[in-house]
Amino acid sequence: MKIAVCVSHVPDTAAKINIGSDGISIDPSGVTYVVNPYDEFAIEEALKSKEKFGGETVAISLGGDANKETLRKALAMGIDNAVLLKDSGYRDSLSVSKALAEEIKAQGAELVFFGKQSVDFDNSVVGQLTAELLGYNCISVAVSFVLDGNKIICEREIEGGKEVVETNLPAVITAQKGLNEPRYASLKGIMAAKKKEIIEKIPAAATNYVEVLTMKKPASKQAGKIIGTDASAVPELIRLLREEAKVI
Amino acid sequence: MIIKNDPEQIQNYLSDASNYKGFAESVYIPETEAEIIQLLKIFNKNKIKATVTGNGTGLTGARVPEGGVVISLEKMNRVLKLNSEEKYLLVQPAVILKDLQNFVESKNLFYPPDPTERNCFIGATVATNASGARTFKYGATRDFILSLRIILPDGEIISIERGKHFASQLKALLKTESGKEISFTLPRYKMPNTKNASGYFCKENMDLIDMFIGSEGTLGIITEIKLKLIEIPKNVLSCVAFFSDEADALKFIDEARSTSLQKFKQPLFTNNPLNARALEFFDVNALNFLRQDYPNIPDNAQAAVWFEQDFDKDEDIVMNNWIELLKEHNCDEELVWLALDKNEQEKFHEFRHAISWKVNEFITLRNLKKVGTDTAVPAIQFNSFYNWLKKKVTQANLNYVIYGHFGNCHPHLNMLPRDEEEYQKAKAIYARICEEAVRLGGTISAEHGIGKLKRDYLLKMYGEGVIKEMAQLKLIFDPHKILNVGNIFDEKFLGTT
Repeated sequence: MKIAVCVSHVPDTAAKINIGSDGISIDPSGVTYVVNPYDEFAIEEALKSKEKFGGETVAISLGGDANKETLRKALAMGIDNAVLLKDSGYRDSLSVSKALAEEIKAQGAELVFFGKQSVDFDNSVVGQLTAELLGYNCISVAVSFVLDGNKIICEREIEGGKEVVETNLPAVITAQKGLNEPRYASLKGIMAAKKKEIIEKIPAAATNYVEVLTMKKPASKQAGKIIGTDASAVPELIRLLREEAKVI
Repeated sequence: MIIKNDPEQIQNYLSDASNYKGFAESVYIPETEAEIIQLLKIFNKNKIKATVTGNGTGLTGARVPEGGVVISLEKMNRVLKLNSEEKYLLVQPAVILKDLQNFVESKNLFYPPDPTERNCFIGATVATNASGARTFKYGATRDFILSLRIILPDGEIISIERGKHFASQLKALLKTESGKEISFTLPRYKMPNTKNASGYFCKENMDLIDMFIGSEGTLGIITEIKLKLIEIPKNVLSCVAFFSDEADALKFIDEARSTSLQKFKQPLFTNNPLNARALEFFDVNALNFLRQDYPNIPDNAQAAVWFEQDFDKDEDIVMNNWIELLKEHNCDEELVWLALDKNEQEKFHEFRHAISWKVNEFITLRNLKKVGTDTAVPAIQFNSFYNWLKKKVTQANLNYVIYGHFGNCHPHLNMLPRDEEEYQKAKAIYARICEEAVRLGGTISAEHGIGKLKRDYLLKMYGEGVIKEMAQLKLIFDPHKILNVGNIFDEKFLGTT
């Protein structure tokens, strides 16, 4: 069985984000990029599935040369092959999904893992859209995954509990935290990954339905006010809390 | 300045991570050096004992007051100056080490000392001469201190720069900023030839700044520290290797240690293929402690080694050399975790930290004191010492974990007594281990310091004569016996007058 995992190269969640000079993208300077954290669960589940059922794994990423770093990590963790769909221009979620669906079809993968969302734009739709474009079944936000023959049973995290669902291959699964514990790359894995080639392909041109008009940072917190340093300040503090902050 | 008197509010200042508990009347939180001077003058005049506290992460009760008042430096937490050209950083004592390291690393500079608990204050790391995993290559905090500004108990100020004030044999003279001369004789004793944080640093013709580093707050209060920085290493290889036989792990460390130490002696070969900066060991009990949080630990692992190397180039050669060494010692390279980025390096650091943290949680829940060794011995003695102490604790039928800085021949044996009886048993073994370490030419405390919990063992290590000389040194700087009394040695050595 061919197993695909789609991986995104995103700013580290701890990075301080500034808006770029064009006003519609972020300024990448000083920002560390990492494998999208949810995609690590997807990679791990792809590896576990291969270990159980055999077959071949391929990691697919859409973006510029920098995405090779993320693909290299997938290879070091044990993924067999890597494909970079090279396009650093803007794409909306549907356009990303179209490019990925084309490649998944070309690879002939019938089991596909995604992270449940990428932590840069947080649209949480690329997995589901890709499944629809491929005509595959889809289970999103999975916290457990069992494959038995052709049948898939997953637990999904829903508000206040879990839902158990069943479907058949071919399928797209989007991974939620809790699905597994992603492994560290092994020393052997990294040496093997160094020898592997990342295949570069040019995807079909983007057809975007969504355009980013502007990016805004949240309003910054206002500076605090020192009213006084002893008990004489208490009446004024109470007045401000009541009249200005309106919290008492 | 903030002053706290409410027993509820000051409770957090009365213990540390060792769970040793004390008592005090109030906590003073000065915000400037002038306020510290003002406080010390009052306390000195009225002979009020003051215990200086950092962030409470210590393991020896050094910050725990035994009466009197507490001076918390928490508000003295500013970075004063970074000089990237000359590579130094000037800070106040309460800057948190982790923040300090992140800050300098964002400027492509590096401050190597890395005690496992990095929520400590930088000033406290100077007061104990703290060290960590990277001490194997880079040395302890001492090696990175360029100058100190210290307020003495009478409010006088000493600014001391490295390389400027030396003892003549054991005779020494220091001048305060106001021109007051302090002349004194250093205690005479031989320090162990290992990593060490046991008592004052003393040797003939020494740089006098070293006397203050590791003096556990007994001589003065540090208000400014100038730290040496180095360029940030271009690449770091960080791995956790699992072994199915503990003996293999120990031999692996032995060889990595000796190969690396040989290379350090040859500065021309700085880009050597195998040149560890850290060699940390975990026994099977430590791994079992961690399994719940780290389910990926291989089932058959009987020991693990976390090793790091920094290097400029030739990544493949570096990796292949480690792979060869691992293979020679029967370690399956598939069972070697490798950190691919800085985040994962941090995770390995957390993996190491998780053990000490879990051990502390275990003892706190049971309201017991930690029985953890901090002994180090010379390399040649290390393996027999390790096997001896392991046998000792196994025979006593105690729960334990062993981990630590095996590159520096510095194991942390943590005994985990389940009740008072076992606690007493563990204490007896602890005393025996300290004796054995000293007999082998080692130290009772390589990095945690003496504080209040280990002063009896320091007494055994050096004998009463030396401890009395140490007390005399303290009395030169603190004749009214007010500052951190009870750290390093018992108050009785300061006399009754």
